[in-house]
Amino acid sequence: MNPKILIIIPAFNEAGAIARLLEEIQTAFPQADRVVINDGSHDLTEENALKTKTFVATLPFNLGIGGAVQTGFQIAHDENYDVAIQVDGDGQHDPVYIRDLVKPILEGKLDLCVGSRFLGNLPGYQSTLARRTGIRFFCRLLELLTGLYLTDPTSGFRATSKKLIKVFADFYPVDFPEPEAIKIAKRHGAKIGEIPVQMRERQGGRSSIRHLATLYYMAKVTFAIFIDLLKKKS
Amino acid sequence: MQAKTFALVMTALVLFFVINRIRHQKMSFKYALVWLLLSFFTILFSIKDAWLQAISKWAGFALPSNFVFFLLLIFVIFFSLLLTLYINEQNSRTEALAQAIAKLDYRLKKLEKEDEKKI
Repeated sequence: MNPKILIIIPAFNEAGAIARLLEEIQTAFPQADRVVINDGSHDLTEENALKTKTFVATLPFNLGIGGAVQTGFQIAHDENYDVAIQVDGDGQHDPVYIRDLVKPILEGKLDLCVGSRFLGNLPGYQSTLARRTGIRFFCRLLELLTGLYLTDPTSGFRATSKKLIKVFADFYPVDFPEPEAIKIAKRHGAKIGEIPVQMRERQGGRSSIRHLATLYYMAKVTFAIFIDLLKKKS
Repeated sequence: MQAKTFALVMTALVLFFVINRIRHQKMSFKYALVWLLLSFFTILFSIKDAWLQAISKWAGFALPSNFVFFLLLIFVIFFSLLLTLYINEQNSRTEALAQAIAKLDYRLKKLEKEDEKKI
């Protein structure tokens, strides 16, 4: 029997980019179901997504990326999917790589496969210097605490196995959740790895992380990762 | 004497406001309780200020007013801590509700689509 795969696409005010992205996903990986988690958008994100014959789950107000992605995992869990893939609704993640991302999960080699823009020597968007510094900080922090070295722990382009779908449906961090989610996955004994991907500059919307907020998120995520250390292993 | 009157008047105002809110069902007993207790003790110590002086002396405060400030500070700190917890709880609940609505939305659209296929 073929595994059931769900692609979760969190989107907030991405009316401009969403339809094209969904068509690209359909072309690149037609065997998966798609659900757009419309995170309380004020524009035509929902309408434009529905035009491409994609399922849309609309949140009544904006929860932020963490709450939106968790909704996706809850749907994946309720509908008994075997694999969930996260693709950002802003078009930064090139759907061409979904196939590579999902392969180690289907082969049972990994429970969480992260698409890294720093692995290998692929060209493409590598973010600003300040943000790369922040990313490197989380690489080191996670390595120190879990012994696992990932090159791009902030990447939201990832595939997760059934085991982690349940974990993330129950609890998924809020505000810049990606590094913390890795720590949580590790605590649940997940096999985690990376594959190289190419990222693009966002095609619409704007990043949820800007200016001074960056400092707040750095502190918040560091704190959250340390708090996770205090939680029981399972 | 003036301080006493002032304390009594302020407490009366707080009490009037809280009871009025309860009467209009805008405040439940659970959340009004802390204000009712605060008012009760303020009135008690305004009238029986000798008791207040005795307790503050026993607790080691040089002036009863320092003792009152100290108590109020503790009250404010703990009450805001409680309110922070309460806000957080409400926040998680609202978030869970929003997610439940989104999931229902998803299921509804899916069922509608399945229906269309049957027709």
